[in-house]
Amino acid sequence: MSAMELPLVVFTLLSQLAIGLVLVGAIRQFAGDGPAGTGAPGLRREWLLAAGLLAAGLVASLFHLGHPGGAPRAITHLATAWLSREVLVLGLLLAAILAAALTGLGRGLVGLCAALGLGALLVQGMTYAPPSFPALHNGLPFVFFAVTAVTLGAGAAAWLAPDSRQGLIAGILTVGLAVGMVVFLVVPCVWLSGGTVMRETAQAYLASPLYWTHVVLGLALPLALVLKAGRIPALAPVLMLVGAVCGRIVFYLDTVHTAANLGGLY
Amino acid sequence: MKKQLGFYVDAKRCIGCFTCAMACKNQYHQENGVVWRQVYALKTEIYPHHERAFYSLACNHCQHPTCLEVCPVNAYAKREDGIVVHDQEKCIGCGNCIRSCPYGAPRYNPALKKAEKCSLCWQRIDAGLAPACVQSCPTSALSLIDLSTFDEPNAVQYPPGYPRMEKLNPSTRFRQAELPTIYRRDAQ
Repeated sequence: MSAMELPLVVFTLLSQLAIGLVLVGAIRQFAGDGPAGTGAPGLRREWLLAAGLLAAGLVASLFHLGHPGGAPRAITHLATAWLSREVLVLGLLLAAILAAALTGLGRGLVGLCAALGLGALLVQGMTYAPPSFPALHNGLPFVFFAVTAVTLGAGAAAWLAPDSRQGLIAGILTVGLAVGMVVFLVVPCVWLSGGTVMRETAQAYLASPLYWTHVVLGLALPLALVLKAGRIPALAPVLMLVGAVCGRIVFYLDTVHTAANLGGLY
Repeated sequence: MKKQLGFYVDAKRCIGCFTCAMACKNQYHQENGVVWRQVYALKTEIYPHHERAFYSLACNHCQHPTCLEVCPVNAYAKREDGIVVHDQEKCIGCGNCIRSCPYGAPRYNPALKKAEKCSLCWQRIDAGLAPACVQSCPTSALSLIDLSTFDEPNAVQYPPGYPRMEKLNPSTRFRQAELPTIYRRDAQ
């Protein structure tokens, strides 16, 4: 992650947005919307959108490969490679979303999609938690990705959901943004008390305008807008998306690799 | 203990001449900017004299290599003698090994769009020869060791300036640099 890898930024954000839509959709299903075509006519559209976003993310991920034609072989090392597991789980998730959307959003398939979505976030988080990045060699990538999924997913759902469900979605988004604010402000401060490489990561994050754009534009401002309006204004999801892009670029660009400090203190 | 080949880096002898890195380059003709062996000067926070102590580092051929674990296409394998080899035919250039190795051993080859790394010159070893870097070192600061028989009481696995990764258990061993004796003209 020493250089900005734009295809991975696009891939992770689109896939997490799709997972967020699925999770919010599942909550709505179990909160009483019922199958598509009955309680919530627009719900199927959201699920198809989630499938499209996830498919677009998977296509974007091919562009970071030196040899995209070999991508199907990326699931051949499931025993230990989190990247193989990520490809498999996201593929299964895409198939499950399509099956759920095309068969009337039955509760069983919706529950399966939600479980696969959570699993995909976990697997994706572990893919980005190698020992070479002490700041991320833990559960933080999963937490970061979960915050992104919930906030972007709720923001997108607000655009598509009927008025009757705006209160529920605004509640989900408020919690997501508040948790995100705490996580993204506290984590670099904790890193400051870590080893040399972890501290250098914190300093790089805190000195980055993109990091503060994420915190202010992508989290604080949308939270203020939602709290003031009591619902999700149309502008909030746009701000969150811009902020999430900035935050993800920082994630790839400014997380310090242990090899950068060979010959120095650790 | 099973056979496990690795490098012994004698920082007391190393003069930072980069001959090892050049020998590696001569042997494999890597693309510009791609280095399998690099010589790192110890920073003054560890060794007080600027650019006077060095670690010559390449792949550590770890007991539990991260590159092997994270590679989604099984491009890495560990031989019976402990050498970690990378099969470029299988590599799809995802960069996961490059991101994941805490020692920065795998490098990206922009021409082939694939990863590559030090092979510990396994072809030379199989032919009974020393690795190119070991053979070239003018001060004998680099040597090939087998950890199953290696018995150097002063060797350390994690000297200052080298990340401690116990789970990986890197096979490189070090003799640490010593501080020079200072002679002063006005000494009594």
